[in-house]
Amino acid sequence: MGAKLRYAMVCSSNQNRSMEAHALLKRHGFDVSSYGTGAHVKLPGPSLREPNVYDFGTPYKFMHDELRRKDPDLYKRNGILPMLKRNLGVKNAPQRWQDNAADGCFDVVVTFEEKVFNIVIEDLSNRKQVLIRSVLIINLEVKDNHEEAATGGKLALELCQEIESADCWEDAIDDIVAAFERQHKRKLLYTISFY
Amino acid sequence: MAAMTAASWGERAVGLLESAKTAGEVPSKLKQLRQLKAVLLHRDPPLLPEFVTRLTELQSERASPVRKFLAEMIGDIGSKHLELLPEMAPCLLAFLKDETPAVSRQAITTGTSLFGYVLEKLVIQGLYSSEIDDSTKSSWAWMLKFKDAVLHIAVQSGSDGVRLLAVKFVETLVLLYTPDPYISADPPQEPVYGLGFNISWLRGGHPSLNVGELAMEASQSLGLLLDHLRSPQVKSLSNSIIIVLIKSLSAIATKRPSFYGRILPVLLGLDPAISIVKGVEVPGAHHALKTVFVACLECTHSSAEPWRARLVEALKAINDSELAGQATNKNSGGVSISNEESLPLKDDNSSMQACDEASSDLVRKRPVTELNNDLLQDDSPAAKRIRQSTQTVQDLPNEPLQQLVAMFGALVAQGEKAAGSLEILISSISSDLLAEVVMANMQHLPPTCPKTDKDDVASETGYPSCLASSVLPSIQSSPLISDIYSLSSLSPLLASLLNIQPSMSHDVAESHQISEEKVMDTVETTLLSSSVGDGSAMMPAILPASVSPFPVVTQNGSSAVSLSLNSATEERVIPGVDSTSSTDEIQESHDASHSSNPEVNDSSQDHATSLGSLVPSNVLSTCSMATDVLETQSTGVGIFDTSQASSTASLVTSCQYVLPKMMILDVNLTDEAKDQLQKVAFVRILDAYKQVAISGGLDARCSLLVHLGIEFPLELDSWGLLQKHVLSDYMDHEGHELTLRILYRLYRETEQDQDFLSSRTAISIYETFLLAVAESLRDTFPATDKSLGRLLAEVPYLSEGVLKLLEGLCCPDRSEKHEKDFQSGDRVTQGLSAVWNLILLRPSSRARCLLIALQSAVHSAEEVRMKAIRLVANKLFPMPGISQKIEEFAHDKLHSVIDDVPAIEDMEADESTSGLQEDSKLGKPSSSRGQQSDNALKSSTHLDQNAMSSLISEAQRCMSLYFALCTKKRSLLREIFTIYKNISKAAKEAIHKQIPILVRTVGSSPELLAIISDPPTGSEDLLMQVLHTLTDGIVPSQDLISSVKKLYHSRMKDADVLIPVLPFLTKDEIFPIFPHLVNLPIENFQGALSRMLQGSPKTGPCLTPAEVLIAIHGIDPVKDGMPLKKVIDACSACFEQRKVFTQPVLAKVLNQLVEQIPLPLLFMRTVLQAIGIFPSLVDFVMEILLRLISKQIWKYPKLWVGFLKCAIQTMPQSFSVLLQLPAAQLENALNKHPVLRPPLVEHASQPNIRSSLPRSTQVVLGLVQELQASSQGHTSQSQAADTGSSTADVATELTQESSAVS
Repeated sequence: MGAKLRYAMVCSSNQNRSMEAHALLKRHGFDVSSYGTGAHVKLPGPSLREPNVYDFGTPYKFMHDELRRKDPDLYKRNGILPMLKRNLGVKNAPQRWQDNAADGCFDVVVTFEEKVFNIVIEDLSNRKQVLIRSVLIINLEVKDNHEEAATGGKLALELCQEIESADCWEDAIDDIVAAFERQHKRKLLYTISFY
Repeated sequence: MAAMTAASWGERAVGLLESAKTAGEVPSKLKQLRQLKAVLLHRDPPLLPEFVTRLTELQSERASPVRKFLAEMIGDIGSKHLELLPEMAPCLLAFLKDETPAVSRQAITTGTSLFGYVLEKLVIQGLYSSEIDDSTKSSWAWMLKFKDAVLHIAVQSGSDGVRLLAVKFVETLVLLYTPDPYISADPPQEPVYGLGFNISWLRGGHPSLNVGELAMEASQSLGLLLDHLRSPQVKSLSNSIIIVLIKSLSAIATKRPSFYGRILPVLLGLDPAISIVKGVEVPGAHHALKTVFVACLECTHSSAEPWRARLVEALKAINDSELAGQATNKNSGGVSISNEESLPLKDDNSSMQACDEASSDLVRKRPVTELNNDLLQDDSPAAKRIRQSTQTVQDLPNEPLQQLVAMFGALVAQGEKAAGSLEILISSISSDLLAEVVMANMQHLPPTCPKTDKDDVASETGYPSCLASSVLPSIQSSPLISDIYSLSSLSPLLASLLNIQPSMSHDVAESHQISEEKVMDTVETTLLSSSVGDGSAMMPAILPASVSPFPVVTQNGSSAVSLSLNSATEERVIPGVDSTSSTDEIQESHDASHSSNPEVNDSSQDHATSLGSLVPSNVLSTCSMATDVLETQSTGVGIFDTSQASSTASLVTSCQYVLPKMMILDVNLTDEAKDQLQKVAFVRILDAYKQVAISGGLDARCSLLVHLGIEFPLELDSWGLLQKHVLSDYMDHEGHELTLRILYRLYRETEQDQDFLSSRTAISIYETFLLAVAESLRDTFPATDKSLGRLLAEVPYLSEGVLKLLEGLCCPDRSEKHEKDFQSGDRVTQGLSAVWNLILLRPSSRARCLLIALQSAVHSAEEVRMKAIRLVANKLFPMPGISQKIEEFAHDKLHSVIDDVPAIEDMEADESTSGLQEDSKLGKPSSSRGQQSDNALKSSTHLDQNAMSSLISEAQRCMSLYFALCTKKRSLLREIFTIYKNISKAAKEAIHKQIPILVRTVGSSPELLAIISDPPTGSEDLLMQVLHTLTDGIVPSQDLISSVKKLYHSRMKDADVLIPVLPFLTKDEIFPIFPHLVNLPIENFQGALSRMLQGSPKTGPCLTPAEVLIAIHGIDPVKDGMPLKKVIDACSACFEQRKVFTQPVLAKVLNQLVEQIPLPLLFMRTVLQAIGIFPSLVDFVMEILLRLISKQIWKYPKLWVGFLKCAIQTMPQSFSVLLQLPAAQLENALNKHPVLRPPLVEHASQPNIRSSLPRSTQVVLGLVQELQASSQGHTSQSQAADTGSSTADVATELTQESSAVS
């Protein structure tokens, strides 16, 4: 078995789906990071039209405290506060995928939404490909709510465990994906890019 | 470590290598090697040559990670020390065949970068010198070997992981071997390493490399890759290989567009055959293809253009199949956490299909509106907000939308073949989605136009040329086109372009040589390229729908252009494109005219760029307007005929359009029609509030309406429309918000003061608008509604009209009041609270509003007045800035009473002089109190009651405010007392009515006490009332008492003032003033009497009745300077109160009085009264009389008279007393009162009495001899005569006095 792979979990705001998976994979000893591809971190507000918008890099703790101050009931009820609490136990602040060049190469990037998947691919193709290091990008479509995120996190873990156990994921990826799709009745989308 | 010498580094390196070789564990081996690498590369590079061979020995190492590390290390060393490469290369080549994929992969990775590195070095060396050094030569030789090996791997079936990288190597190879069109084709002056190179630099020659050969090899390698993707080979490939192949090929295609022609057919041929791989549907390849197609579409290079149509078609096929897949795959959605996703535009796939425009149209229109507002932002006060909202839209990358855009471009470019599909596409999407397409393009505008080579320039021209050609037949009559051209002619760019004109013919000739199809392709693809990359981005999408209708428009005699020019904003809310039916025709006409006029292209080319840079907003708006006109007039026919016109016209057009003076503002619309159109548009925006509310663009709508209001000519009455709209449903129509917007905009207009007329106009509109809204708010909403107050508080400024309205609320007219009596009170409250708000919030209007409040505070209706006074006194007066003003106002009002209210006397003067006299008499300060004067007034004047009471209320009206202020500022109190003497009766009456309330509120405060102890002259009546009020039912404070005493002693000797506090004075204090009390009018004395007897609740009566009576008797009329009658009256007053002055009290009093020396003057009178009231006192009185005899009462002539009277009155009991008198006095008595004699003689004749009588008495009574008796009788008679006369004198005196008193 080769060296340990580096994983990145990516969703739009680096709050719910990617953090759920990040937390889970971290617990299972993976070398994992997580990112968001949005322009800002958006959390639900009192109404659809009034989201709470933060910049990437704003600590989860800050958001947690601020929202708790704003309306503890609302944000407890809709699960935002617990989620932020979970997140701040995992890492300090949401990170943006597009700004992660300094974080080094990843071997596997799991995205949770096709839009995010596309953004990641485009971003990688826009970077200078000098290392000739392949990176697997897999999209696992997960709805952006707490329940689905929990399910999605488990699926992502399972998928990553499969990939990790392969000698060479390039050789095995078709089988892994096919098996996964059969087992979970979920469509996966994957592609390979280079660093 | 730092001190380590070169030798010791060498030793250490050897040690590390050895231990790496011998170490059992893989991690420890790796650790040693890492250290070794660090030493060799960074610490002591000179050691490297020595170690390279020894390192290569590691290639036989068993552990694959070690071999992998070695492969990596070779790359690190090789890139820095190229000369060592030949030594390491065999090892690298060997690794390629390593059994462990990871090692092979690392080898390829390393080799790939080394390959590029060596090639660069070789190229640059060869460029600047004819000699290539040996190490580079041999390195290159090894690299070529490596290349061959990897190419072999790429085609072989084996580990996918290795193959992926091999494919990637081939991609790199192809890219390296072919000229890069994006980098300068000329080499730099100086050799620079590490910054990349362009193989085209070698065109000038190279010692060992040949461009042609390299290109050939690149082509072959590319063919290698392409072969893989061709059936049936592709079937055997794994999905990941396919993906990587696709991506690599697309990378090559986009970076080296010259390969488009080779690569794209293969890629396009793939679809959809590969969607099923190994029996399982794998969307990965599918997706990769899609991404690739989109990427290729985005490529602006000319070679890419011919492929657009097919790409778009392929994309569409992919989308369709994906849609189908999604439809079955869709999960039922939960609550979305990320807000972005909830925007309706997100699910573009479904909206692409959506045809139910009618229902969803308006919701989706929003972004268009926003976009358009963005254009308008300079004028809009809400520009900032709008811009933000636009940005949020931009935040959402909407890829499928872009694909749609691309698709459009490609279909259009394909010409007739694709007309059908274009039609299907357009009809399958909603008009607002179409607008979305336009917007999506807008957002991707680059700051500058992409740099293009000659070919590209040619292609750029495509757009205007097809625009021109498609409209050719009608261009002369089409204001739109001419307008566009006139716009472009304004551009400075065009000026220079005009100079190029002579060369046009040359261009035309040249373009003739191009095959027809080629031209078409160029032109068509340009549409797309411009849509992706340049300023006129929205054109391709909109063009089909917007241009063609023009003939129709002109036929109908209406001008869209004039509209778009006159009211640049108007059309902006109008949904972009709505005529899908006409696209077919356009397409055809476009193609027809286009294909027949290839020569037009070049001539129009430059305008494309100028257009692109300047048109967006204009063209867009014009286009959309055009469609709108079309829509409203619901004509869609006749397009075809005109656009199919012959090609001959085209040349004319091209000439026309380059003419500089093409400003055809040939407006066919009448002014009325224009106005009508503007009005219709305005009303449409106005009425769209519901839909806009749903879609959330209210803000923008507001700005728009307001702006239009400003821009439209007044005749259109846009303000009237707005006003009607606002007022028709103030709550639901965001009336407040809209009104404020309007007013602020107008205010700005006013303040800008551009010219006198417009600013005056704005002012008058502002004022009428505000007033109308305010009036309507007043009339339609209940008084409790706060809208009016809020509006007034927030508008830019308050016009006089509104202030008047406010005044009307606060100070309603009497007549009005009667009309809506029941609610006027609430109205006043509403008005006053608004006024208060304004005073607080609007410093500039403060004075005016204060005046309103103050006017209201002296309002004639008491209800209104009291409300206002409460506001003024409680809320406003405490405000430091305005209290002075309030005070002055109240003061003036108070003083106005002096001048205004005395009217009563004046009025009377004419009627009755006697009344006047009466009044003036009574008007002088007298001891009579208020009530008295009132009574006097009432009785003496002939004024009827109504007139009087109206005067009183008038006085009250003026004074209430001042009184209210007094409670807040007590120093004001004195003024009331000061003016008191100068004001009329009615005013005094008013004061008397009001003062008790005030005094009770104020209490015996220091200010009031100061006034009491030193009252202004003439205020005595008022003072008395104040004192009474102060002591009424309350124990007065010691301060008050002492103030009153002070007043009494220092200023007013009038004992009246003391009456209120009498009960609280001590005996010692009362006795000295007692005569003064007695001297008061009897009524007042009676009051004082009762107070003294009643006393205070605490200390009890200050004087007992007996003490009072004795005190009365102690008064010496002469000494105290008062008439005796007063004393007598006082006594009488006492005797009247029989319950207080009882028999024992009287007895006690008499008992004490009789002891006094001298006897009180009125003693006998009192005795007589006592016996009169209480006859049973007779025995006691007899005793008194006896005591008087012993006191020789006859010596006091006045008392003696009384004594005798009493004796007569008390007959027969008094006989025994009389008999006690000395004979002379008895005789005197009997002479004076002969009536006494017979009964007395009879009484004395009784034997037992007679025996006790002295002889002299008996003589007097005639019971003994004459002689003695006569002599005695004479003397006594003369004496009696004396006394008699003297008594008579006294009596007359008394009567005189008493008559004088009465």
